[in-house]
Amino acid sequence: MVSVNQTMRYLGRTVGMAALSIALALALPACNNQSGFSGAVGNTPNGPRLASYEIVGTIGTPFTATVANQDSSWTFRGNVPLSVFICNNDLPAQVIATKTTSSTALLSLEIINANHVAQLQSTSAPFGTVSVQAGGTLTSIAPPADPDLRIFVSGPASQKYQALVEDSKTGFIISARAPTLIMFDNPDGKVDATFFGAQDFGTFTVNMTLGGIVVASVMQGPNATIRQP
Amino acid sequence: MAISQAPCSIGRSFERLYSCLRTLVRLSQSLTQFFIDGFRVKYFFVHRTVRGLIIPLAIVLCALLANAGAAWAGKNSSLEIGFVGVPPAGYQNVLLNVISVRVNSKATAGPGNGGWQTIPAPPGVGGSNSSAELQIDLNNLQDTPQLFNTAGVKAGTYKVAEIRIDPNISGYLVPTCPTAPPTFGNADGCITYPLQLTNTNTITVVDPNGVVSTKKGKLSQLILSVKLQNLVAPTVSGGSYTGTVVISAPTTPILGTITGTVNVTGTPATPSSGTNNKNRKLSVTAEAIGTNTPIATAQVKNGSYTLFLPAANNFGTLYDLAVTGGGTNLAAQRLAPLFPLTNQSLTTDFNIGVPSSLGNLSGQVTDGCKIKQPIVGATLAILLPPDSNPGAVCSTDPEQCVAVLTANTDNAGDFPLPGSISTPPMFDNIPALPKSGAYVMEVTAPGYDPLFVQAQPSMGNGPGGCAPLGSSTFSNCNLTLSTGYITGSIPISPPVPGETTLVQVFAEDMGTNNIESSLPMPVSITHTNAANCPSGPFANCVPFTINVPTMPIPGSMTPLPRVFDLFATTIDLYQGATDPYPGHSIAVESEVVGPAPPTSPGVCATATPPPFTDLIECIGHGSVQGSVSNANLGTSVVLEKADPANPDNLVLITTTPVVNQMENPSPTNNYSFCAPGGDVYAVQRLQLPTPEPSEAPSAAPSPALDGAPVPVTIPPAPLYNEATPSGTPGGPTATPTPSAKCPTNCTNSDGSCPGICKPVIQGL
Repeated sequence: MVSVNQTMRYLGRTVGMAALSIALALALPACNNQSGFSGAVGNTPNGPRLASYEIVGTIGTPFTATVANQDSSWTFRGNVPLSVFICNNDLPAQVIATKTTSSTALLSLEIINANHVAQLQSTSAPFGTVSVQAGGTLTSIAPPADPDLRIFVSGPASQKYQALVEDSKTGFIISARAPTLIMFDNPDGKVDATFFGAQDFGTFTVNMTLGGIVVASVMQGPNATIRQP
Repeated sequence: MAISQAPCSIGRSFERLYSCLRTLVRLSQSLTQFFIDGFRVKYFFVHRTVRGLIIPLAIVLCALLANAGAAWAGKNSSLEIGFVGVPPAGYQNVLLNVISVRVNSKATAGPGNGGWQTIPAPPGVGGSNSSAELQIDLNNLQDTPQLFNTAGVKAGTYKVAEIRIDPNISGYLVPTCPTAPPTFGNADGCITYPLQLTNTNTITVVDPNGVVSTKKGKLSQLILSVKLQNLVAPTVSGGSYTGTVVISAPTTPILGTITGTVNVTGTPATPSSGTNNKNRKLSVTAEAIGTNTPIATAQVKNGSYTLFLPAANNFGTLYDLAVTGGGTNLAAQRLAPLFPLTNQSLTTDFNIGVPSSLGNLSGQVTDGCKIKQPIVGATLAILLPPDSNPGAVCSTDPEQCVAVLTANTDNAGDFPLPGSISTPPMFDNIPALPKSGAYVMEVTAPGYDPLFVQAQPSMGNGPGGCAPLGSSTFSNCNLTLSTGYITGSIPISPPVPGETTLVQVFAEDMGTNNIESSLPMPVSITHTNAANCPSGPFANCVPFTINVPTMPIPGSMTPLPRVFDLFATTIDLYQGATDPYPGHSIAVESEVVGPAPPTSPGVCATATPPPFTDLIECIGHGSVQGSVSNANLGTSVVLEKADPANPDNLVLITTTPVVNQMENPSPTNNYSFCAPGGDVYAVQRLQLPTPEPSEAPSAAPSPALDGAPVPVTIPPAPLYNEATPSGTPGGPTATPTPSAKCPTNCTNSDGSCPGICKPVIQGL
């Protein structure tokens, strides 16, 4: 015979376990791709959340772009799509992209801030130019970045990943899809980055350039680490 | 710094769980690992815990499975969404930011109800995150539709369709120069105004009989006509236009249909073991004729495929088809014009064999003039003669061939860019040709000579090989592109202190609008850094060096050295945001003799033409607009400007389509340009030849100038902030003191600014 107290105890335990299991059910998927950058560990404090500059449109459309902030500027060529991040970004920042094809393919520039499109400009004109600004008005283009450190994540294509990019003082958390170009403005010391993909992510293909010279490359998955030598 | 890379001691099967539970460790941190398996202190606690968890876990699992089931249920058909536009008149651009389209089988479904099937903005095209959106220009969608995306939906009849527009930035409007007094002081034209919708940002169309029906395993289409109406102009500087968006279903068919079969003879090849052990699915891709621009892709299911494509009414639209994937041979077809009539669908069947093996192709593309300088963003395309013209020689007549596989280089010049596990890059698992045959591969980059090589996929997982045309010696595909340089200078009125003018230079083949190259980075000119002009009447100049190709245009008899037209425009700001149309004049120079081809590898020539005689100065906006008689969907209008040094030479600057043609209600055949005011231009008709119905052309037709150019003078924008001279006539004048900062970086040295621009009407 089960007493009322026992029944109440079992009921309470069951309710408690249900609450625990629901909490686990909600929490476990969140770390499926090994996210959970708490900022509570490591010696580098989190930098501010980074806006991403998305160069999208007709897949494969070639372009040339200049990204500039108060201190530095970077010029690069590429093909649609490409996500661009600037670590240590000193706003305001401006992105100018010019299609390098005579076709009427679409070229769009988006600024994504906190998962919202903050600005969006497009062109379909042959060799059309689009430009967006973030954080105010940039009245002039700063000189080329020195040192010019870039990390290019070329794949796997379109797969979502997270990364921690840091110098000796600040760590920046990035959530993006490849291909991605990450520029580090005025790094303090050497730069390293760790990329985290889901278990079925595939292989990261990452290289780091300094002054236009490839100084480190890595092909690894589902996680990868690259360090400035 | 140290790296947290200590191996798990619990076996690989648990690695996933443990990597999940492991607290993230930064590289800058000392080696530290935190595991949560320390709770396993007493066995009975675990036993009791497991027993207690059984019921609640079962409940949660059931709930999760129920949701998953709902999410997966019946996404067994495909729905393709497209748009046509009905914009208001008088606007150069009418831009809407579309997040997604949803459909629901219940006519009364509200935004918060269940049962919605969502077709989002396509990844990569409209952004790469969940916040992706696609910007559409209603002006460009009046005559032919634009495809939005295709997604899996549950088969059924949908009675309501909903378009979701960005609630924060609904869109932008760029009006042409005003013909009536403005609504507020400096309401300029040819600048960007934000758009706010007066209705909600979720706009629906309801049809109790169904707006679209989808069938299991079939592709269906839903075209939405998007109309912007009830526009009200802003009344204060920095204000927004307000308007209402309405959607409806077009009453006439505006997509064409291509159907067919793909019959595969033999057993498809399987990828060799390694990382690229998955084939792309067998599919048919429609590309704009003569390009590698994909318009739509259909997977081959049960040996057949269907494509719904935009088609120009009474004119026809030309497409190429490429069959790839599935471990079969490649195939291509060039089609007769496609018309938007459901009873005139094109039927294109393919009979293809299978290769003996699949292989890969990879390598690097570098600059032939600069040692080890990678070319980023170069395009590589495997060309194939279409079935309709199997004798086409792709190396000498590339315009007669179809680009079936395309790759690009990364920032190290390496190709191809990686794909994903489920979708390998196009240059992986390429079918090998019989008898050690080779494909023709075209390598292009703006400003460089195109390169044609033979390309042979690897046997297995190697990089494959390339050989010059006519050679049988294959080696690694480390390819170099040749180029030459034009160095020149353009006179400019430097900006006032504190402002910057960005100058972009373009090179195009003489007498055409075929732009070959632009500067990799615009030249930044401040009040103090303009160079001294080497000659001529002007003091300050913009120095530039631009890459241009040196070899003859493929398939043409162009004599060497090649001759180019150059023009320079500025990238301006208006009230801190990008000005879509510059307020500085456009400088042109015609008949610029280009550099000679490299005499040997690495020895590249530079041409130095005389300085421009056209001045870049601040003159404000302007616009020209009108109607075009007897236009069809192959008609466009080109804006030209005469070279002051050779007034008979017109340099083509930009083109615009003729919009709102027949089939639209109240067709007007309008065209318009926003161009700097206070300057003399010419407008001329540019005509694409009408394709022969039922006949596949051998190459993409080229547009040709049609009729004489018509001179047109855009009036200058009146100045404001102009300083009023004080003192006696003939005596000293007061120092100009601007009363307000100009809204643009186009400020004159006396502090005055170009005011509200003026339009000019010119019919053709």
